[in-house]
Amino acid sequence: MQHKHSFLVALAVFALSSFVSAGDVSGTVKFDGTAPHMKPIDMAKEPVCQKEHNPPVAIQAVVPGPNNTLDNVLVYVSKGLPAGKTYPTPGQPVTFDQHGCMYNPHVTALMVNQDFHVTNSDPVAHNIHPLAKVNKEWNKSQPPGSAPIDAKFDKPEITIPIKCNIHPWMRGYLAVFDHPYFAVSDADGKFTIKGLPAGHYTITAWQESWGEQTAEIDVPASGAKTLDLTFKARPVY
Amino acid sequence: MTTSLRKKVTALMTSVLTGAAIFALSFARPEPAHAIPALARKYGLPCSACHEAWPKLNTFGIAFRDNGYQLGNERDSPIWQNNAYFPITFRMTPNWHLEKTNRVAVDIVPGNGSSGLIETSTTSNGFDLSGLDILTLGTLYKNISFALVPSADETGAFHFESVWVRVDNILGSRWANVKFGKHELDVPEPLSEKRGYSLSASSGGYILYHYDPYGGTNEFGLGDNQLGVELSGHSRNSFTRYAVDVLSSNSGNVDFVDNNGNPAANSYDVYLHFSQGVMIPKLGLQRFGALYYNGRRATYSMTSGGVPIAGTGDGTAPFYRVGAYASIYLGKLNYAGLFYHGNDNKYLATATPMNLGPAGLPTGAQDATWNGLLNEFDWTQNPQFVIFGRYEFAHMSQQALPIGSLNALGATVTSQLGDTDGWAIGYRWYPIMFSRAGLAWHNEYSRSRIKNAAPLSGQDLLNQSVFVGLDFDF
Amino acid sequence: MRECRLLTILMLFLLTVPVAAFASPADPDQPTTKPDTSSVKVGHQGVTSDYYVPNSTHPLWKGAGLPIEKASAKIGNLTGDAVKGRNHYRRYCIGCHGPLGNGEGENAQWIDPKPRDFTEGTFRCRSTPTGELPTDQDLFNTIGRGFVTTNMPSWFAINDQDKVDLIAYIKIFSAKWNNPQRAAPIQIPPETPITVESIQRGHDDFEKMQCFKCHGQQGHGDGPSASTLTNSKDQPIRPYDFSAGDRFKCGSTNADIYRDFMTGLDGSPMPSFADQLKPDEAWDLVHYLRTLMVHVDSPERKIMIENHLQFKNEDSGQ
Repeated sequence: MQHKHSFLVALAVFALSSFVSAGDVSGTVKFDGTAPHMKPIDMAKEPVCQKEHNPPVAIQAVVPGPNNTLDNVLVYVSKGLPAGKTYPTPGQPVTFDQHGCMYNPHVTALMVNQDFHVTNSDPVAHNIHPLAKVNKEWNKSQPPGSAPIDAKFDKPEITIPIKCNIHPWMRGYLAVFDHPYFAVSDADGKFTIKGLPAGHYTITAWQESWGEQTAEIDVPASGAKTLDLTFKARPVY
Repeated sequence: MTTSLRKKVTALMTSVLTGAAIFALSFARPEPAHAIPALARKYGLPCSACHEAWPKLNTFGIAFRDNGYQLGNERDSPIWQNNAYFPITFRMTPNWHLEKTNRVAVDIVPGNGSSGLIETSTTSNGFDLSGLDILTLGTLYKNISFALVPSADETGAFHFESVWVRVDNILGSRWANVKFGKHELDVPEPLSEKRGYSLSASSGGYILYHYDPYGGTNEFGLGDNQLGVELSGHSRNSFTRYAVDVLSSNSGNVDFVDNNGNPAANSYDVYLHFSQGVMIPKLGLQRFGALYYNGRRATYSMTSGGVPIAGTGDGTAPFYRVGAYASIYLGKLNYAGLFYHGNDNKYLATATPMNLGPAGLPTGAQDATWNGLLNEFDWTQNPQFVIFGRYEFAHMSQQALPIGSLNALGATVTSQLGDTDGWAIGYRWYPIMFSRAGLAWHNEYSRSRIKNAAPLSGQDLLNQSVFVGLDFDF
Repeated sequence: MRECRLLTILMLFLLTVPVAAFASPADPDQPTTKPDTSSVKVGHQGVTSDYYVPNSTHPLWKGAGLPIEKASAKIGNLTGDAVKGRNHYRRYCIGCHGPLGNGEGENAQWIDPKPRDFTEGTFRCRSTPTGELPTDQDLFNTIGRGFVTTNMPSWFAINDQDKVDLIAYIKIFSAKWNNPQRAAPIQIPPETPITVESIQRGHDDFEKMQCFKCHGQQGHGDGPSASTLTNSKDQPIRPYDFSAGDRFKCGSTNADIYRDFMTGLDGSPMPSFADQLKPDEAWDLVHYLRTLMVHVDSPERKIMIENHLQFKNEDSGQ
């Protein structure tokens, strides 16, 4: 009896895995060369935030991690997905916080119509101003202690700069996709794109100062695929 | 013919010739006109924003001008301009033209003044220059506008075409603006001689505006800039406009002389103008209006040793001009029609000094009156191509002297003596249209006919002009 | 002989008439068939001979908006025709807004603030929420009002039909107009009474929303962030100085001021406070803002002066 049960389970798992037949693409984003010197942000105009950063936080145009890795790099599938296929919008929101007069996360990726949930954790007002060109360009104020702002972007757009007019050093980026195959590298430069069906794809990595790097990969039916991407370091002004 | 009689005839003919020449030349000024790249530079607008096709103003340009050359964006005062901005524009037209007159009294033997005179036609053609306009106008301060236009004729002799300061929007009201100085009389826009399209000699200027009875001393021209004070006002979009002027009786000449160089009288003329615009959907803006000029001109002056003393013109005799007009827009076509009536007092019309009293008047002298009609047709294909045409006439309704008598110039008075009609037709093509300079390729043909004004035969005098030029400003 | 020469000259003159007529720049009603790619320069980099003809066959044309035959506008009983609008655009607008509608007209390099870039589909003076397209009426009002202290004239002397044609025409420039759905204007409830309490609450709102960060505590446009403000094209821009006069770019009535901060002025740093202020709070703020306009008599200022109102100002930091 037990034998039959476990055999049926194994059969089910095997059958299911052959339907799913998807792989994960993960890797590290690195750069070649010397990390550029990033100037510290002068927050004298907002003493409340200035106090939060001791020493001052550097401009986030390039955020290197240990061993020449890169934080905040957007990695996504740019070619190879079946045309016309639609993907369900995830139900959970993507959070975006303003803290210490900095955006957290610095680079945010989400799907079309996914809830973009903006909070203000500072005791000062900010305004959230995504400078979208394809989506609507809106600009909303968020005074301290006010409710979170929820927004949606209904068209894919890579990328949308976000700024706060009150604090000109605040800069972030949004990327809106109509598919779920994207990721943003973490502080160690690591990223994972999950559940990519088998096939041949072009993967693009986007770094806000250094542009794009692309790579072609073949994703197997199951299992993981590793892909490392390297940017050539250039001075950033 | 005896020598003495021939001498008398020669003397008479010379004076007739001079009179006819003066008469003909009074039409022969290619009128200076206005178009202002300096304003385009100041505001960053293309010429076409204010001009239908420069120099003619469109509705927006008329309203801008009425507002004291101000857009009303709190940036009109010169302090808001870059230091390097200077409100100056030059305009001139090198050209080729041809003038033909059908009946000129010429010596039978060229060079021999006593060989007798015959009437023949003369034709002159060649490359030539127009006059030069140096247009400076704009604002001195918010709601204080100005114009200073030194103008030269084709020989480079300068005079001042316009010099005025205007206080705009007095007490915040656009119905009260006061202009002081030498300025163009407020005339309906499509019929402004200063901003008209035509440039040729025969009929480039507006005959009707300058018409004065043949043989009279009145040299008034409605299209000539006058010296005085103007109170004017307009509605917000300048659909309703009025102007009231008090002007010196000197036809805009300085140093107390009139257009003939004679001492001007110390009297004052009055001018009134009113117009109303009606917007008709799909057709355009239609304007209707009326104008009235009442003036006096001196018929003699004090002299010292026979030399006239400036500013002592006396024995002023009245004259008036009255007109009603309509400017009709049918899409791209603008038709403007002005009905005009003129009246010169008999002393003016017969050149009789008033100190001689009624006894000094020729027998049967009466006021000279005439009626005229001016029709202007402008077809604006786009801001860079315009076709224009004009037909006008002035016909005497009452001659100053009895029919059959001889007037002061020796011409036999007929009921039609001096009747003038003329027409002009041409086009302007603007190869460039932007905010720094303008260029127009101008072609025009015009003719005018003055009845019974030929110097010897008393037949009609016909002038024709062909004008081809490059009209440019910057 | 002389007559012969004369005749020749006359004939030559007459011939130039048809030549010039055909050589005149392309009539905007007839699109050119072959875009000239060899000498493509627009805007401040140089001009082509057909610069003044907005032409959707131009190789740099990016207009992803409505096709010109479909673009329309409606105000009252006037319907706009974009094909006619193109002629008006050429006459009045092209010098600043450019033949491609991107605000790069030949004069744009000399003026500040820069002309509106219609290809962005972002507009300042609207009655619709932030991020949304304006209504036709909003655009009509904008053209008629102009923008005080800028080079955009108040085009009051252009007749209404021409304005509606222009509004139809500018919808060819941005893809955002392709979406037939339009947001409705925000609801503006009737104004609340102007009272001392309203003005004082308005002051509290001014502090709570931290308007002073840009506008300064006295509304002089000298707040700590004022000098570093940039608009959406990264051009420096200053916040409104309430002591400057009585004219606002988007209208000068109380309802216009209400709309300014409840819809935000898109394209500029001014955000929308629609999520943060309730309607009567918004009216309170309007009443307070009127008291900052020290050179304009208003019922609000009268009440402030009569009641000797003084406002305690919050520090912008601790």
